[in-house]
Amino acid sequence: MHESAPVYVYGVVASGARVSAPTEGVAGAPTRLIESNGLAAVASSVPAEQLRVRRRDLHAHLRTLEQLFEQTTVLPCSFGTVLDSEEDVRAHLLDARAEELHALLDRLTGRAQLNVKASYDEDAVLREVVASQPEVARARERVRALGNAAYYENIRLGELVAGTLAARQADDAERIHARLASVAAEAVPEPVDPGGLLVLKTAYLVARRQLDRFDAELESLAAGEAPAILFESFGPLPPTAFVSLRQEG
Amino acid sequence: MAIATRGTASNYLQRAPSPSGLADVLDVILDKGLVIDAYIRVSVIGIEVLTIDARIVIASVDTYLRFAEAVNRLDLAQTEVAGLKELREGGDGSKRKTEGVIEGAKEKMTPGGDREKEKAS
Repeated sequence: MHESAPVYVYGVVASGARVSAPTEGVAGAPTRLIESNGLAAVASSVPAEQLRVRRRDLHAHLRTLEQLFEQTTVLPCSFGTVLDSEEDVRAHLLDARAEELHALLDRLTGRAQLNVKASYDEDAVLREVVASQPEVARARERVRALGNAAYYENIRLGELVAGTLAARQADDAERIHARLASVAAEAVPEPVDPGGLLVLKTAYLVARRQLDRFDAELESLAAGEAPAILFESFGPLPPTAFVSLRQEG
Repeated sequence: MAIATRGTASNYLQRAPSPSGLADVLDVILDKGLVIDAYIRVSVIGIEVLTIDARIVIASVDTYLRFAEAVNRLDLAQTEVAGLKELREGGDGSKRKTEGVIEGAKEKMTPGGDREKEKAS
């Protein structure tokens, strides 16, 4: 009965995996499995007319993936993946990409994603910059002595600070990454602006049995980098950053 | 999973099993995951999530002024409070433009509405 209606796809699991899909997905529709080739796409119906995305739909997408992830290996689809029909899900995804999808399932089994973000605490890092760079400290004194007349000196001071931060950023990111990569299987870093406060933003793929080790490493790393660098981490998450399909020629 | 339930009391490390803020949720599910070629782009009917990359050119005068202001704001020796105040008042109006942007944070929004509207849904 759903054959010709458009479907929203959350992700792919191995068929035969015992999953109870969440009852409420995007647009409040119940999720169901579409199977072929030993694979199952987790999907739900979407209205044929224009669908306006709401905040709760974003959460429904993530919640569905997380619920599947608790039960089995899941290959997440990007948010907003809609195909025209169940038939298309089989033809364009499960059948056309069967080999790749099975390989991805093998690669990601027993692994989880941890999203780590490291950023400078502005005041703490600037204190270190002033303390370690005599040139910055001198520029700061000049500016303070000049008061309102210090426009160009201000720019010069800020430029010195940004330059010092940019130089430090790469070293800090490398040191942090080396520690975390030592307990991770793979990593996908995101670009970071030089001279900004963000130091590192990376998704790590970690074996489930290594999660405690990763956590301990993160804890000791963060304790050692305080107070200049603050850490944030989410996970274990479904491996959204570690699945991709070859682009069709 | 032990890691999912363990809270962190420290302020240098914030851990959560799952993101809840809009920007963090988008970070995990938008432009990440399986993308089924060009086919999908055609099929994403009405689900077009706008990404406003609020990143600005970082090597700008605004940024330098912001850093200078922050460095001056540092209460290194607990002195010169008057000079600090002067600087602030005489400061540039442009610094606000770069605030919150410097970390390279991506501002992403859903179509047809702002964050406030989305919050209500």
